[in-house]
Amino acid sequence: MSYTYCTQARGPVKKSNCTTGFGGSERLFYRYRDLAPQLVPLDYSDKPDVVLPYELISSMPELKDNPFRQRIAEVFSEDGEGNMTLDDFLDMFSVLSEMAPRDLKASYAFKIYDFNNDDYICKSDLEKTVNKLTRNELTPEEVSLVCEKVIEEADLDNDGKLSLEDFQHMIVRAPDFLSTFHIRI
Amino acid sequence: SMTTRERIKAIQKMPKTMKEKREIRNGLSELFQSLQLWQKTLKIIGGKFGTSVLSYFVFLTWLLTFNMFSFLVNFSFVTIPQFIAAGSNNLSFTGLELLTGAGYFQQTVLYYGFYTNSTITKIESSTTYDMQLAYIFTIGIYFVICFFSLVYSMAKSFRNNFVNPQTYSGNAGKLLCIWDFNITNDKAVRLKQKNLSTQIKEALSEAKSEDLNLSVKQRMVHIAIHLAAWIFSLGTTAVCCTCVYYLSINNLKLFMKGDGTELENQAATLVLPIVVSLLNLLTPFVFSLLELLEKFQYPRNQIYITITRNVILKMSITGILCYYWLNIVATSGTECWETLVGQDLYRLVVVDFLFCLLGSFFGEFVRRIIGTKCLKNLGVPEFDIARNVLGLIYVQTLTWIGIFFSPLLPAIQMISFFIIFYVKKVSLMMNCQPPRKVWRASQMTTLFIFLLFFPSFTGVLSVVAITIWRLKPSEKCGPFRGLSSIFDAVSGWIAVLTKNPGSAWVVWIYHNLIESVHFFFILTVIVITITYLYWQIIEGRKIMVRLLHEQIINVSLLFGFLLERTSRKRADYLCCVRQGDMLPFWYK
Repeated sequence: MSYTYCTQARGPVKKSNCTTGFGGSERLFYRYRDLAPQLVPLDYSDKPDVVLPYELISSMPELKDNPFRQRIAEVFSEDGEGNMTLDDFLDMFSVLSEMAPRDLKASYAFKIYDFNNDDYICKSDLEKTVNKLTRNELTPEEVSLVCEKVIEEADLDNDGKLSLEDFQHMIVRAPDFLSTFHIRI
Repeated sequence: SMTTRERIKAIQKMPKTMKEKREIRNGLSELFQSLQLWQKTLKIIGGKFGTSVLSYFVFLTWLLTFNMFSFLVNFSFVTIPQFIAAGSNNLSFTGLELLTGAGYFQQTVLYYGFYTNSTITKIESSTTYDMQLAYIFTIGIYFVICFFSLVYSMAKSFRNNFVNPQTYSGNAGKLLCIWDFNITNDKAVRLKQKNLSTQIKEALSEAKSEDLNLSVKQRMVHIAIHLAAWIFSLGTTAVCCTCVYYLSINNLKLFMKGDGTELENQAATLVLPIVVSLLNLLTPFVFSLLELLEKFQYPRNQIYITITRNVILKMSITGILCYYWLNIVATSGTECWETLVGQDLYRLVVVDFLFCLLGSFFGEFVRRIIGTKCLKNLGVPEFDIARNVLGLIYVQTLTWIGIFFSPLLPAIQMISFFIIFYVKKVSLMMNCQPPRKVWRASQMTTLFIFLLFFPSFTGVLSVVAITIWRLKPSEKCGPFRGLSSIFDAVSGWIAVLTKNPGSAWVVWIYHNLIESVHFFFILTVIVITITYLYWQIIEGRKIMVRLLHEQIINVSLLFGFLLERTSRKRADYLCCVRQGDMLPFWYK
């Protein structure tokens, strides 16, 4: 599988030509277009300014039942609200593809779990995560106990919250992460 | 003549719209799609059952490609030349042969005995094709390639999944890596969430009760139960092996006597494989009953113990069969013992395949009917990943042993794996639910690849090595007829080459590398030294990791301390400024 990593080319760098990438990217383009054929033109050579709303993105079969779908869309969208341009869309599935390197995956997984976008996973973020993982079936005491345990175990620098480094360190010890943080498209 | 990469680049540079580019690249992407065999099926399975069950199917496709490669190699270098030299087959085909592998098949390229020992020449005075050498080198090179690809995948898997040399304490931290993004099915998502919440509740209650230490008496009871379970499982294995041994000897006697009709004889040969497959299918169930008796503190240990028991069972049965083939059949003086062994293996593979289908039917389909209609509290069965993967490893071992005696056995295996893939997929979709326990897919896959390498592949290598170096091939059949051992074909070839000055390097390699004890001695010493060095490096790194870890904690403590101090100083400063005092002496 060969997806193009456009993620590195973000920010000040000119947007790369992901749309003309090979294999997966092209399939992805058609998946994107199929979400709203009337909005997305076939010809992308003059870089049209198309943004698909979150409702359309989250209706994809790959995402619609995922408890983290809203976070995923928010993290990858440029506006932070889940509305996606083609480049956002390609970025999202590149990172979630099989080929994406561990660090890239880890940094995005970190962002997904960092609900309040403060660059740390704090206890309230963890509580939200646990509730999503268990569909609110645990009592608040249980949730709080679990979150304390997680922080206690994974927090290397003892600041009471998880930084990206703590998270990456944890990922290294959970080899399944690479295969589970993966959406087949 | 352009490489794929160049072609893509060229296409990317062209000033054309997506649509035109799409048409150009259609050819490419079709090829690309077909390479990702079953990508769609795997996606569906992953979506409904998660990574754990998916790992079984990935393993299955991996073995399938192994067999496909093996079939292609054997077919092109051994079978096709044999077709050119083949005589006509005058045995009749009845249909039962598909099951027994005997009768008509005896005189086909399926078995060792049919291959010729002559050199094949199609056109006079052109180059010749020496069947003996082709046979031995094809199989030899195949095993070498297999060896390296297994070692490669094993090493890669170990590197990816056991990165951290330190053992990991606790599981709470894994909570953030536990969600399986593969799952896309609503029901599966709900089930996963339910399982997760039960697991978390269990873990929390365990953490509470962990402090309660077991009394001496309770501990003794635990140990006694484990011991009894081990004695029982090893005893069962011993009984199974004895059973297989006497049955196989009986089988040979029946074959030698050969009274009764042809049909009766053929049916009698099926008894051994059926019993072996039955034992292989039923004993694991008995072992899983033991799990109910033994209560492990950590469920992970339970999985490893069950796997160990099953591996011991399967490998001892295979070992007994190999003993029977190499020590009893080979010296029994039958006309063509290699073909006999090949037939035995063919039957074992085919019957095991049928039992695999039956196992899916009874173990999953009928079990679901019972679980949903009669005994409601049984529920829908779970897909037992470990049992299924061990079954695959066992049958792959048989195929590897069989390559020498029946070069086309990989083709049979390929077809059977292909069917198993679809049958298992359908059965899974219809009958099963995702496993409730945590299955560490990556680490388990590493373990399975290791099992495939260690008892399985190395065992096969030794069986094949004994056959080639020690045993006397049949007098009247097969490519090596008339030789005192199969390896004589190679030494004979070297003797011929010695006369030819142009191929002196082959002779040199043979004498100095392959036949030389010194070379292997030096090689072993070098490998052991390198291994030792690497081991020491790893030990050093472990210490390094520990020190760095401590350093991180110290730095963070220091950082916190400094932060606190600066904020206090800042407060002091503001206070001083506000009161119009002089700055304290240390504020310069």
